[in-house]
Formats: sequence, C-alpha cells, structure tokens
Amino acid sequence: MTAQTRRARTIYANPSRAARPKPEASGRDRFWWYFMRLSGLALVLLALGHMLIMHVLVELSGGEIDFAFVQSRWGTPFWRVYDFLLLLLAFIHGARGARTVITDYVTHRTARSLLIGILIALAVIWMVLGMAVIVFFDPNTAPPTGPFS
Amino acid sequence: MVKLFGYEMTWSELAWFGHRASGLGVLLYLFMHIIETSTVLFGPDVYNAAVGIFKNLPARAGEVVLMAAVVYHALNGLRVIAMDFWPRLTVYYRPLTYGVIAATVISMIPLGLIMLRPFMPWGA
Repeated sequence: MTAQTRRARTIYANPSRAARPKPEASGRDRFWWYFMRLSGLALVLLALGHMLIMHVLVELSGGEIDFAFVQSRWGTPFWRVYDFLLLLLAFIHGARGARTVITDYVTHRTARSLLIGILIALAVIWMVLGMAVIVFFDPNTAPPTGPFS
Repeated sequence: MVKLFGYEMTWSELAWFGHRASGLGVLLYLFMHIIETSTVLFGPDVYNAAVGIFKNLPARAGEVVLMAAVVYHALNGLRVIAMDFWPRLTVYYRPLTYGVIAATVISMIPLGLIMLRPFMPWGA
C-alpha cells in the first residue's frame, strides 16, 4: 500500500510522461498547454480523416487526385470549411510544437528569439497562402484548358 | 529499455522522441503540401503536373511514412491527453505506450498495403 502510494506520487509529478505538466499559474503558458491538447483532439479527427480520405478511400475507390477532383471537392462548402479548419489548427499546433522543441534545445537568448521569429513568420505566410487558396479557388472560372477538364 | 542511435532509452523516452520526430516531420511536409496544392490556382495543367510528381513508388513510400507519422502522433497524443486529464492512468503508462506502438504498427499493415497497391504485383 505504501509502496503503491510512493510510486504513484513519483509518476504524478509529470502526468503525461511524454509532455509537460500543466502550468500551475494561469496565463499564456497554461493557455497553450490546453490549446495543444484540445487542438490535438480536433486534429485526430481532421488530420486522420483527411489522410484516410485522400490516401486510402481515393485509392480503394479507384479514383485519382487531379484538378477535376479538387473542382468537385471544393464545389461543396463543407470540404472548404473542413480544409480551412484543418489548415488553421495544423499550422498553429505544428508551429507551437516546433517552438517547444526550439526552446528545449536553444539556450542562447538571441538565437532562440530569432529562430522562433522565423518559425512564426514562415508559419503565418504559409497559413495565409493556404487560406487564400481555399477561399479564392473558383471551380467555375479556373481556365478549363487541361486534358482532364 | 530500448537502444536507439547508441542511446539507452526507456519506452516512455522513445515514445516522447517519436512524438517529436513525427510532429516535426509532418510540419515539414505541411509546408511542401501547401505549395503543391496552391498550384491549383494556375489551372488544370499546372496542378495535374504538380500532383503528377508524387505519382510514383518512392513518393508513395514517403506517403506511407507520412501516414505512419500521423497515426503514431495521433495515438500517442491521445495517450498524453488521457494521462494529463486523468492522472490515475499514469500507473498504466507502460502498457499504454506499448499499446500505442503496437496499434501504429498493426494499423499500418493494411494502410500500407492499400497505399502501395498500384505499384505492387497484386495491384490494379
């Protein structure tokens, strides 16, 4: 009984044993602690769903990903919203995760700020580019010149 | 204990390392994926040429690795979340970690076979 309690207490020191214990004080760090877990839950559905559709179901149904596929897929608002959410959460979750890795290994203050700055800049540029593509792609006015259109 | 790159690692350390490696790998892929998909704005010729780059065996094998990374990151992430919100589960961290690794390997068998199908003798 005592051995059991002692063992449990050691493990409780870092509940996940893979990530960080929840920050005690409320604030930015705790916000991100929750964000990573909640966005992770959403991404399990969004990202795994995306991978299963694009790489497994398309294969099983004998389909092919080409321009016509995107035209019909983004013809429905549902998939645009789905992809928009996936893009948003994946980039924020991914950038925050990469930030954690940087802060773990880079101790030099200037180098650390520089790397995090570059990371955030790249993530924002790519995320905005991806969002613009999802929002502005028009299946009707795209030039119908290819062999598959 | 397991050996990786000459390091003695516990299973929880290996799970942690795998989580980082897969997360960074998927983020890197995401940057490339946005570029590739954004060519859709230039019309069918450009987009079909862009996705055509990935329709071969080496690229498909890379997609299988990507799938494994996403599956592992998702399952291990669920384990981390479960332990964070129900600390009592930490008592079972070892079987849960084995479970995540086993579930990733087992689920990758059918997924890998399906994804590689067009390039394999048994494929269409």
